[in-house]
Amino acid sequence: MKKHNVWMAICALLVAALVLTACGQAATPAPAAKVVRVAVVMPSSTTDMAFSQSMYSALVAVQKEMGGEAAMEIKYSENMFKVPDAAAAIRDYASQGFDIVVAHGSQYGASVEEIAKDFPGTTFAWGTDVNTFGLPNVYAYTAAAQEGGYVNGVLAAKLTTSKQIGVTGPVEVGDAKTYIDGFVQGVASVDPSITVNKTWTGSFSDVALMTEAAKTHIAAGADVLTGSSQSVVGSIGAAKENGKVLWFGTQSEQTTLAPELVVASQVYDWTAMIKEIIASRAAGTLGGKTYTLQLSNDGLKIVFNAGYNLPADVKAAADAAIEGIKGGKITVNP
Amino acid sequence: MTTPANLQKRIQRVEMCDIVKRFPGVLANNKVCIEVNAGEVLALLGENGAGKSTLMRQLYGLYRPDGGQILIDGQPQVFHSPADAIAAGIGMIHQHFMLVPTLTVAQNVALGLKSSREPQLDLERVSKRIQELAQAYGLKVDPEAYVWQLSVGEQQRVEIIKALYRGASIIILDEPTAVLTPQEVNDLFVTLKRMTQEGHGLVFISHKLHEVMAISDRIAVLRDGQMIGSRPAKGVTRDDLVKMMVGREVKPLAPQPLQTGPVCLGISGLRAMGDRGTEALRGVDLEIHASEIVGVAGVSGNGQRELAQCLAGLRKNTAGTIQLNGQDITQASLLERMAAGQSYIPEERMRDGAIREFSVQENLFLRDHAAPQYTNGIFLNFARMAARTREVIQQYSIKAPGGDTPIKNLSGGNIQKLIMARELSRQPKALIAAQPTRGVDIGATEYIHQRLLEQRANGTAILLISEDLDEIRTLSDRIAVMYEGQIIGIVARGEATVEQIGLMMAGIPLQETRAKASA
Amino acid sequence: MNELFSLAVITGILTSAIRLATPYLFAAVGEAFAQSSGVVNLGVDGIMLVGAFVAFYVTLQTGNLWLAVLAAALVGLLMGLLMSLISVTLKAEQGISGIGLYMFGLGLSSLLFKLLVGTVQTIDGFKVIKIPLLGDIPMIGEIFFQHSLPVYAAFLLVPVAWWFLEKTTWGLKIKAVGQNPAAADSLGVSVDKVRYFSVCLGSVLAGLAGASLSTALVNLFQENLTAGLGFIAVALVYFGGWKPAGILVGALLFSTVNAFQLWMQVLGVNISSDVAVMLPYLLTIAALVFATNRVRQPAALNKPFERGEN
Ligand SMILES: Nc1ncnc2c1ncn2[C@@H]1O[C@H](COP(=O)(O)OP(=O)(O)OP(=O)(O)O)[C@@H](O)[C@H]1O
Ligand SMILES: [Mg+2]
Repeated sequence: MKKHNVWMAICALLVAALVLTACGQAATPAPAAKVVRVAVVMPSSTTDMAFSQSMYSALVAVQKEMGGEAAMEIKYSENMFKVPDAAAAIRDYASQGFDIVVAHGSQYGASVEEIAKDFPGTTFAWGTDVNTFGLPNVYAYTAAAQEGGYVNGVLAAKLTTSKQIGVTGPVEVGDAKTYIDGFVQGVASVDPSITVNKTWTGSFSDVALMTEAAKTHIAAGADVLTGSSQSVVGSIGAAKENGKVLWFGTQSEQTTLAPELVVASQVYDWTAMIKEIIASRAAGTLGGKTYTLQLSNDGLKIVFNAGYNLPADVKAAADAAIEGIKGGKITVNP
Repeated sequence: MTTPANLQKRIQRVEMCDIVKRFPGVLANNKVCIEVNAGEVLALLGENGAGKSTLMRQLYGLYRPDGGQILIDGQPQVFHSPADAIAAGIGMIHQHFMLVPTLTVAQNVALGLKSSREPQLDLERVSKRIQELAQAYGLKVDPEAYVWQLSVGEQQRVEIIKALYRGASIIILDEPTAVLTPQEVNDLFVTLKRMTQEGHGLVFISHKLHEVMAISDRIAVLRDGQMIGSRPAKGVTRDDLVKMMVGREVKPLAPQPLQTGPVCLGISGLRAMGDRGTEALRGVDLEIHASEIVGVAGVSGNGQRELAQCLAGLRKNTAGTIQLNGQDITQASLLERMAAGQSYIPEERMRDGAIREFSVQENLFLRDHAAPQYTNGIFLNFARMAARTREVIQQYSIKAPGGDTPIKNLSGGNIQKLIMARELSRQPKALIAAQPTRGVDIGATEYIHQRLLEQRANGTAILLISEDLDEIRTLSDRIAVMYEGQIIGIVARGEATVEQIGLMMAGIPLQETRAKASA
Repeated sequence: MNELFSLAVITGILTSAIRLATPYLFAAVGEAFAQSSGVVNLGVDGIMLVGAFVAFYVTLQTGNLWLAVLAAALVGLLMGLLMSLISVTLKAEQGISGIGLYMFGLGLSSLLFKLLVGTVQTIDGFKVIKIPLLGDIPMIGEIFFQHSLPVYAAFLLVPVAWWFLEKTTWGLKIKAVGQNPAAADSLGVSVDKVRYFSVCLGSVLAGLAGASLSTALVNLFQENLTAGLGFIAVALVYFGGWKPAGILVGALLFSTVNAFQLWMQVLGVNISSDVAVMLPYLLTIAALVFATNRVRQPAALNKPFERGEN
């Protein structure tokens, strides 16, 4: 009798937890005929103001353009920071008959390679990486984050007065690394004497530590900050609290977090790529290609904060850098 | 926080009428009636599992009776928890002490009481009051000492002070002497006498009949949950009581000397540290032969416990060797010692000998579950195990509803019988038995003694460690007396009087006593 | 490298350390109450998340930080009641109920965030208050006396908790119930009541730990904001030997090494960032291994109490 109660209570709690997690998923009506069914698995949440949000917003934008839910169904699994959970989700979506399954995280590569072989009729897209594993139904995508990094670097170098810039990132891999490498090159192209200090927190999700990392940079004298990953909102918060340092964003537009301080953000725009994948699939090509978001193909955009009073000459230098990269006159090493 | 014991309204008379208490599968109390009056000691006797503790736990509010009434000075009482019983003036010293070892004496006493400086503790006042009570009743304790530092006897004094501090006028003592040395028992009796003079009524539970006859005014006997009878202590003989308790006569044993075999267990130069960082064994030399029982006597705390633990492999020795049939087992693990044919009946049976949550059967097979007769390939043969369990319950007359009862629901004495059954059924070459009959009733004590003698006849070397000098003197072929971590002397059966052994226990070697006597 | 030992840098490290220790102190001291009474509450992280969200949301809506703190304490209390109900009254396995509570808190805070807020936003949190006079002492002032209220409160909590556990009748009951519930019970102390109280008190503090994170340290909320901080707090309780002072030492050790590694990176000390990031954890593990004093571990930890056992 007693034991019975206990298990009832525990089950109730677990069910409540599961329901709550499930509620987080987008509720989509049953698919009508001939809709494109797209599923996406993401390591963080759709509201992270960074990597995951950039993909989710793009999917929603494409959906709107195509005529809403009647034309395209979107399902997502977020916060899949554990790879085995993500792999299970990817397989689930494939077996439910989704047309396109997007595995939005470089850590999901091995899972995609394995699962894609079992579902030759399904299109898989994963990134950021360039490897399609030689499979005809796998797309790989990546962002040339160093390009926007370079532009942000040029801007930052022009705006710093303390000649000290702080960078915060999660771990030294993927587009977090390439963005920062590009940023350093951009700074150096303007003034090699400026120091760029880097801090890696070791975690994609530890906001508190990211905040403290930014505060450390500020205490050490930096007056311009930038950084990458979903936990970077903490750094922006620290900049805002200080009120005097500038911020450069990447992955998503981050202006709303600190409208007075954000100068510009490099924005990932996956819409063109998604549209192309849908179109090629309709035409019979299920995969086998690598996409790279670049300034030149409008996959990357530099979004300036209209509310920030950017001096004309600085803006001109940034524009010159953008044109230079697009035209191939400037090469940025990833 | 200070309600002096003598300020509270005195209880003149407590009655328990027609008390019925059931546990799953057990009728622990069946219409039991007893009464206790101010200024008297009522002894409660009965075999293990007769229902003594259960009856008293109802008086203390730990259990609710299924039937019957509790009256205090004629007023019916309903106790929902010990808090109610305490408020009514009842106190209880439990069979297993209820102390928090990590707290000081004063903190243990103050626990659960309102402070005069609420919410702050006022331990100075508590300490002062403790000292007053200690003075008045002859209970020496240091209020600032931590309970884990105290000896068993001191812990018991703390328990008594806890009850007195709360103004208890009726105090229940559940087997208070089971863990005490003879000297401590004497001290306790002095305290109890003083308590009755002060007008306290006492309920005294014990399996030792000479104690019961020495201290009590009336004696009540329980058997199988029923009241057999109650009579004044004056004029009652031991045999009367035994007959009431067991329903038959129990004759004292008189073992015959045997031809002993070669040395089986050899201990030489054994040294080891105690729990408190001082050296507890300071060079022990002892040889036990096959077919021999060597009894270790001594005032508790002189290294007997550590000796048993070293032999069992539960404590590391710092020097010396232990040999079993010529094989050096000093460094051997518990398992290796078992394989070499050694068995161990621990003193702390709840801690070292059994697992509370496990059933009777599981505890019985803790060691031998992998023996071939109880397995089918890699699986356990539960049918065989169950059959063997039934057999043991029968043979040792263990009071348990069945083999699947968790042993935490057994009475204290019955747990001890179970461990005995497990260790003796292995036909060991050497057996270490520490306090094998502590808390065990007369009938079962007799049974356990017979089993030990049987083992001896089968060639087992037995080391018997006991604080019960009668037990040692009855069973042992030789008696080794321990004093301050060493063996101060070894005497053969009948070679020394009780008094001489008592002097040895106090540290005076036999030669000195004899020299004095002849001088 | 020499820079690392300049006064300015040392000041910076210690200031960061004090700040970073705040949520750990609230959560770990709270957990110490629960554990002292014999209940391991592994749901701390979940309670912190809900507390963090509620405090963030109330601030976002009303701008009233006191209301925010009160709300966080209240949800902490509710979650504490839930944990007590399951682990004390129903006597469920504490580890499993705690993990269940954690998952519940994680899910609930994420769901509420999505429904009510949607995207990451920053709020105006507790401002730094410079203590008059003391705050002007060079170095010392900056390190200790230029913080926000929750930081001061967290450090004040340590002596208060010590006083409560060591010097009051309630503290005595809590410790007794955690060490030997049968003994407490036999003196008429209600084991369940004491455990309810301790778990709830601990949960309120966990709620406040969350609030300190979202309204004083990072001034925003994001899903899974705590990133497992609550579990480190549980480890700190063991590290600190169930004593508030020990927990203080552990929390400061952990946060100082963390701040130290951040500064090392900022100053470009040549060391792999992976190693730097591991430092605080390595040190914590090492310290746990060497902190062998298990005497104070509540003997009844993790054990439900039922009367009537010998
Ligand atoms: N909590 C319990 N649950 C189930 N059965 C119990 C419980 N407590 C005691 N019993 C059973 O009730 C009977 C009486 O036990 P009790 O402890 O009162 O015996 P006792 O006379 O004190 O014996 P001992 O001398 O061994 O201490 C025993 O058969 C015991 O197994
Ligand atoms: Mg008993």
